[in-house]
Amino acid sequence: MEEVNVTLTVNGKEHNIKVPSDERLLDTLRDRLHLTGVKEGCSIGECGACTVVLDGKAVNSCMVYTFQLDGSEVLTVEGLEIDGQLDPLQEAFIDHQAVQCGFCTPGMLMSAKALLNEKPDPDREEIKTAIEGNLCRCTGYQQIIEAIESVVKIDRSE
Amino acid sequence: MIEFEALKANSLDEAIDILADKKNEVKMVAGGTDMLVQIHHESDDLKEMKYLLDISAISGLDVIEDNGEYLRLGALVTHSEIMDSVLINEKFPILQKAAEVIGSTQIRNRGTVGGNVNNASPAADLVTALIALDASVVLHSSHGKRELPLSEFITGPYCTDRKEDEIMTEVKVPYIQDEYYDCYQKVKRRQAVAIARINLAVITKVKDNKFNDIRVAFGSATPTATRFKEIEKELAGADLSAIDYEQLAEKTSEEMVGITGERWSTPYKRPVVGNLLKRALQSIVKEVQ
Amino acid sequence: MEFAHVNKSEKRVDVYEKVTGKAKYGADMRFPDMLYGKVLHTEYPYAKIKSIDTTNAEKMPGVVAVITAADIPNNEFGVIIENQQVLAKEKALYIGDGIAVVAAETAKQAAKAAEKIEVEYEELEGIYDPLEAREEDAQLVHEDLEDNQVIHHPLRKGDPKKGFENSDVIIEREYDTPFIEQSYIEPEAVVAVPYQENSTVTVYGSVQNPFATQNAVATVLQEDLNKVRIVQNHMGGSFGGKDEVISSMAARASVLALKTERPIKLVNSRDESIKESYKRHPYHMKYKIGATEDGKIQAMEIEAVADSGAYACQTPFVTWRSVVQATGPYEVDNVKTDTYGYYTNNVYTGAMRGYGSPQVIFAQESLMDELADELDMDPVELRMKNIYHNNSFTASGQKLDNHEVSLEEVLTKAVEKSNFVEKYKEYSKEQPGDKKKGIGLSISFRGCSLGAEAIDAAGIILSLKKDGSVSLYSGLAENGQGLKTVYCQMAAEALGLDTDKINFMQVDTLISPDSGSTVASRATLIGGNAVKKAADNLIEKIKEYISDKYDQDKEDIYIKDGSIYGQKDVEIMSINEMASKAAMEGVYLTTYGWYVSPDISWDEETGHGRPYFTYVYGCQVAEVEVDTGTGEIDVLNMTAAHDVGRAINPANVKGQIYGGVSMGLGYGVMEEIETDQGYIENTNFDEYMIPTVKDMPDIEPIIVENPDPNGPFGAKSIGEPTLELGAAAIANAVANATKKRIRSLPLNLEKIIVGKDLHKGVDHK
Repeated sequence: MEEVNVTLTVNGKEHNIKVPSDERLLDTLRDRLHLTGVKEGCSIGECGACTVVLDGKAVNSCMVYTFQLDGSEVLTVEGLEIDGQLDPLQEAFIDHQAVQCGFCTPGMLMSAKALLNEKPDPDREEIKTAIEGNLCRCTGYQQIIEAIESVVKIDRSE
Repeated sequence: MIEFEALKANSLDEAIDILADKKNEVKMVAGGTDMLVQIHHESDDLKEMKYLLDISAISGLDVIEDNGEYLRLGALVTHSEIMDSVLINEKFPILQKAAEVIGSTQIRNRGTVGGNVNNASPAADLVTALIALDASVVLHSSHGKRELPLSEFITGPYCTDRKEDEIMTEVKVPYIQDEYYDCYQKVKRRQAVAIARINLAVITKVKDNKFNDIRVAFGSATPTATRFKEIEKELAGADLSAIDYEQLAEKTSEEMVGITGERWSTPYKRPVVGNLLKRALQSIVKEVQ
Repeated sequence: MEFAHVNKSEKRVDVYEKVTGKAKYGADMRFPDMLYGKVLHTEYPYAKIKSIDTTNAEKMPGVVAVITAADIPNNEFGVIIENQQVLAKEKALYIGDGIAVVAAETAKQAAKAAEKIEVEYEELEGIYDPLEAREEDAQLVHEDLEDNQVIHHPLRKGDPKKGFENSDVIIEREYDTPFIEQSYIEPEAVVAVPYQENSTVTVYGSVQNPFATQNAVATVLQEDLNKVRIVQNHMGGSFGGKDEVISSMAARASVLALKTERPIKLVNSRDESIKESYKRHPYHMKYKIGATEDGKIQAMEIEAVADSGAYACQTPFVTWRSVVQATGPYEVDNVKTDTYGYYTNNVYTGAMRGYGSPQVIFAQESLMDELADELDMDPVELRMKNIYHNNSFTASGQKLDNHEVSLEEVLTKAVEKSNFVEKYKEYSKEQPGDKKKGIGLSISFRGCSLGAEAIDAAGIILSLKKDGSVSLYSGLAENGQGLKTVYCQMAAEALGLDTDKINFMQVDTLISPDSGSTVASRATLIGGNAVKKAADNLIEKIKEYISDKYDQDKEDIYIKDGSIYGQKDVEIMSINEMASKAAMEGVYLTTYGWYVSPDISWDEETGHGRPYFTYVYGCQVAEVEVDTGTGEIDVLNMTAAHDVGRAINPANVKGQIYGGVSMGLGYGVMEEIETDQGYIENTNFDEYMIPTVKDMPDIEPIIVENPDPNGPFGAKSIGEPTLELGAAAIANAVANATKKRIRSLPLNLEKIIVGKDLHKGVDHK
């Protein structure tokens, strides 16, 4: 199988890689770049555990082939903490007990991040829509919504 | 395991050349939300696939354009883009109502008009709305251009009339002159990220308190999303204040069964199609008042 | 009572690594020279394996080894009955049975090679209905057994015949529940590493019960326990589901690891997970209940038949809990209950949160509402007439006298908060339009921990280092539920230290004390008691040391906020200082706490005894809107009142309530593993639906605290009670709304519209 040259910027760092045609963005991130914060839960775009921000939009990384992404930019959960400073969303998840097993957490954070990047003051319905594609079996979602809302409120007060 | 070689087209001409050359050995991918699932499930449809052509970078295919008499929806327009479009909000809000109940945010960010139409699932939400809107598709190949109604393009569940060297480049949605009302309904097994159990798009004008040019399209009720012509005839010119909903509901079910015959799901779908139509009409009546 | 750490919503101790993506789960583990495993599963649910030819697979690029049952030293294991095949030997007994495993340099190479394994099958006709399997001359699923019965639990109390004779109203009903998938978002993953240090094999992974898995691997390898090491990674949820299936994977990976002498990673895809892993038991239940016209229950006769699938797994214990709790929390003098488990060629069934309770609760709480209808009483009234109070006797003849029986409290609080009585009256009337509202409730009692299933004990090691930091070693493990945090809080409370001074060490059979499995909502209760014991032992040692050295009376010594105080509340020194001094003087400050639960008893013939040493009580109220035009159910809100004894971490308890309600909602409205002649039809999350954020109701959690004398700081259980009630409450609410009763789960679109399930080709009830 011939490989394709792709330039991919991940968490601000540029990578020039050669990928086989069937390498998914998920595989590139986890296996090639060792960003294991991105999780595989179902492989068919249903659970959202693999959610990353691709060129500004939340997508399921299991549903994209890396060969399609030459020149693209990706943000993963590993890119949220900067110089030891946690993203407000991460702090909020901690403060609001929005994490139990933690497996859906990276995907949730990325969906929320994508939302807030595009719309800094979403209402509760918009928050739910942003994470409707992120399945959680542990938390019942309540504290996750509260965590995201708390970040919105912080932004509003600034 | 399905194996393939990656190909990428940066222009429509490139894509056309590849299709002319590889024909049924090449499948196309744009957003990937249907294709990668099919590959994961090792679908029989992909038995002959040797190449996967990425068309997501083809310029000009992501237009949402006002062409005077119709709206041009490029094949690469995503569901999210439909939801954000001011033009579509103005001309065809029903497309937004359909787009926003497709999948999840992640899926809508990648899923395209072209994908939804070419995958031709009987439950495809955009398709039902487009059928009600009398949309047509444009296909390109090395032989030139071809245009045909969407209702003719989709020939059966997951089947289209696309020839092996053709690529669908856009959907044309003819403008509806005058004010009109719309309603989109979707029955689901859960409240988000769910395939339609049944969906319904109703479009109608109202003249002198009577239905005018009413279109009723059901999806996931018959093998392909289709307009229920008998019901449309029944409703044409009917007075909004004098609708016999019970009779209508029955006629709707009859029309459906007339197309499908008795199937295992009929005991469920029979009452529900009638209820959905009733609901759609009632909401339009309310809006008119 | 004022606590420093207990009863406080302290931050989770393991949350930083989870929000940053640094937490390593099974599939994230990497080792040098690691190979990837891929299992070839059977093509048919029930088939003779005539031959397996792996030659072509072995020749494929990157392949290092291929194993079949012939390579497994001891191919059968099981926690209760050892008849689960690691790999199918002569027959595949269910659709998830593994035939062979390939180890290759990359996952892709392993998958491609697995396709090249040639298996000759003789397809056989299997049995897929436990009611068929129980018949006298039914085909045997396991040919070495006499029949297909896995287990039968009888319970006999009083004289049901007389009880029915005394009844004014008698109703008989049948209820059904389906196969359910635990649906942890992290699929199963293990990595087996050979010859690490002094272990023959070390298995890392998503292991819910490290000691059960250690036992299974040792049994399979025919190796001593002290040579098999299991290390638990962060787990992406389990809900009971990562026990035998993980043990099986660990065994396969271990055999391959020893054969190749390289680490082997074996990760399930979601489809593999759903096909292979055990499910919640489907139950077919028959209930007969008699009551006098004032609502007093006179007698109950119950039969529950569970589908055990191909292997026994946990069926004997799951059905045991059912026999204990099948009547519901009601005083009934005359009871005849029989629970059964039968082998079939369906996917095997085992532990899932609830463990035999959600099924019978659905039945018994639906039944109570049906009885209330017959008697023209409202659901609250009827229950109030019959529920347990302090000193009531259960169906097993157990007197509930050692804890606060708070049924009336949880019921009253939930009913009041949800405005049940008024709404029930309102919604019972005819409602215009298609969308109809309803309200329903369910209550339960739940025996805490294992009861008579097994020895119920746990151990904790607390090690106070010379710098004042503390290591906590536990055998019970974090599945995501918050165990680590709660243990640290309890240790901190008991020791007078800050919670962040305590480090919950990774659960590793190398040092963690074997405390049985992390199941049965026992971790806070049993493990927590062990934490307390270990802490008390440590404090005792500290007191001894201080009283010796500083001429203080032991009774005057106490620890607070990291300092040691003595006579007249004078501060003597900080813990850090003491620890350092003690270390220099050769005083050892590591203690062990071993807690054994109080005595329980069980008579296998009569079901008489004290099956659990304490109980928890819960009530959930669901308000729904049913769209009778489309069949869709919108659960508007849920009120959940749970007596937890003491909430060690209230925010955590709320999280368990929200999560439990979510799982209960799924059970009630949308979840069902659909099987057809042994094949599983919905093998991924596109067709097996679990609730999304938009399916969730508003939830009103009510934490009730009646400290239990047997619980650490009074705490007992929360994990399972929160899930077991939802479906029943929703079913009752739907019946209130539609005036129609549906007696099988889930309450899907077809059942609401048509009154029964519809399946391609076959009509099911």
